[in-house]
Amino acid sequence: MPRLARSEWYDLTRDMNWTLTYASEEAVWPEDLSNSVGIPMEAWATWDEPYKITYQEYVHNQAGKDAAVFAVNSAVARSQMYENLDKGWQGAILAHYGAIALGEYFAGIAESRMGRFGRAAAWRNMATFGTLDETRHGQMQAYFPYTLLEKEPRADWGLKTLHTQEWGAIAARSLFDDMFTANDAVSTAIQLTFTFETGFTNLQFLGLAADAMDVGDVNFSSLISSIQTDEARHAQQGEPTIKLMLEHGKLDVAQKLIDSIFWRTWHVFSLLTGMSMDYYTPLEHRKHSFKEFMNEFIVKQFSDQFRDFGLERPWYWDTHFLQEMNWYHHACHLGVWTWRPTVWWNPDAGVAPEERDWLEEKYPGWNDTFGKQWDVITDNVRNGHLDRTIPETLPVVCNMCHIPVISPTAFNAGYYTSPAPKIHTHKGRRYIFCGEVCQWVFEQNPARYEGHLNIVDQFLAGMIQPPTLEGALTYMGLSEAERGTDAENYAWAFKGYDAALLTPKAS
Amino acid sequence: MALLPLQGLFSGDFVLVVAPVDDQDPMSTVAQKVAYHAVGKRVAAQDRPMQVSFNGEIVAEDATPATLGMLPMDFVEVSYR
Repeated sequence: MPRLARSEWYDLTRDMNWTLTYASEEAVWPEDLSNSVGIPMEAWATWDEPYKITYQEYVHNQAGKDAAVFAVNSAVARSQMYENLDKGWQGAILAHYGAIALGEYFAGIAESRMGRFGRAAAWRNMATFGTLDETRHGQMQAYFPYTLLEKEPRADWGLKTLHTQEWGAIAARSLFDDMFTANDAVSTAIQLTFTFETGFTNLQFLGLAADAMDVGDVNFSSLISSIQTDEARHAQQGEPTIKLMLEHGKLDVAQKLIDSIFWRTWHVFSLLTGMSMDYYTPLEHRKHSFKEFMNEFIVKQFSDQFRDFGLERPWYWDTHFLQEMNWYHHACHLGVWTWRPTVWWNPDAGVAPEERDWLEEKYPGWNDTFGKQWDVITDNVRNGHLDRTIPETLPVVCNMCHIPVISPTAFNAGYYTSPAPKIHTHKGRRYIFCGEVCQWVFEQNPARYEGHLNIVDQFLAGMIQPPTLEGALTYMGLSEAERGTDAENYAWAFKGYDAALLTPKAS
Repeated sequence: MALLPLQGLFSGDFVLVVAPVDDQDPMSTVAQKVAYHAVGKRVAAQDRPMQVSFNGEIVAEDATPATLGMLPMDFVEVSYR
């Protein structure tokens, strides 16, 4: 049977659409799920994606990718590779699987929302492939930790995390729900595909993949770099959507969506990727610092796209974002290590003498701010006062980013004029924010966020019983065996340290 | 006598903590309850008296959260004098 060349039929199939005769446009594409942004339907029909693919090509390509990735996984499964990985690195991948795996599945919901409620047939076509992509990503990133279970029972958190009230899970769910699970199709295209995927995911899925290959974790490296090849395709849904909004005078809508989610994404990536790159990756395998990766992927590459589309960089770019690259993730790391029982992996302190030298080189002034606090912690470890390195209360947590309020760090480093939190009253309830921008995001759409209780709100509302740290850990889903401990059993505190020089201190 | 959770910071620390106090605690006790979570743990201990700052002002040692009208999750900063 004669077959047509792809070019003869592709445009017909990618753009096959209905002419509605008995259902209204509003009924088929309700505004709250679809969001026309006031752009007429005939204009949406001009939506045009840069990278085109047929279903046959898709299946062929994806099958090849899966064969490669699963081949690596099954070869590695019979080896001692995982057991021989650096302990800090093991923490990085457990953290990744927990925070990300089910988030990918949620992103499948996001893609299928665009696949049903996108107002252009070609867009719905691309989003259908995106749904398959994200389903793949959810499945692979749940399966890979599953294969580690015999070696690491806490790999179970690859599946479990986003079902729990662990504080990081609350932060991740809040971000994902805002960005896509509870979002209309257009906002999802702007916030998920353009801002989150085109910008930030490269950090975790390419930057960290490079570190992984260096570390010798070929399994993780091949997994996440394969995932990112799909990302490059379905992330393209943002561009034609923004172009249409630009053509129809709706760029301000896109700008506000980007400004809000860029900030929220920045904080979560700073926490996850910042710690992984600058503290958990073994020193000799760090390709770049987190700040260097951020400068390449976000400050250079991603911000060029703002210019290309006629967008502005977010209003807080110079005043808050650039300077946070110097301190925010360092404070996150200090917090996660201190509150290590509240996470499902073993955090690597990452502050042995040579590591501190590297940190000072990459972040001049690190020793004056963070180093001083690690000095006190190190002394306590050396003197056998481990109890003083474990917290006995909760940190205050931001009502927007759900990360502890670490504004005092910015004050200590000279970036803020006050260490105080932002306290904002809305409809008689006090909300606490870690800074001006998180508060600004809330103020853009208070109705969207006002009902949420962060982990501290839940504690103060009596939802955590008993109202103790032990009660909070159980509430977060962390049995004693699952709680994080220092990745190296504190060996870092004794590197290059001469115990004979220790002066006994009164306890 | 009522439990009052505050946002506490000991100067030099990196994070705010939830510091439960009693609304009848004198500020000297509030200072200790906040300092407990940071001093000797992340901030070097010093043999010096402490002070409490609330709404930008140093408050009297014998003042209490009740007399100062402190509300749940108000922010206090404790520092060495």
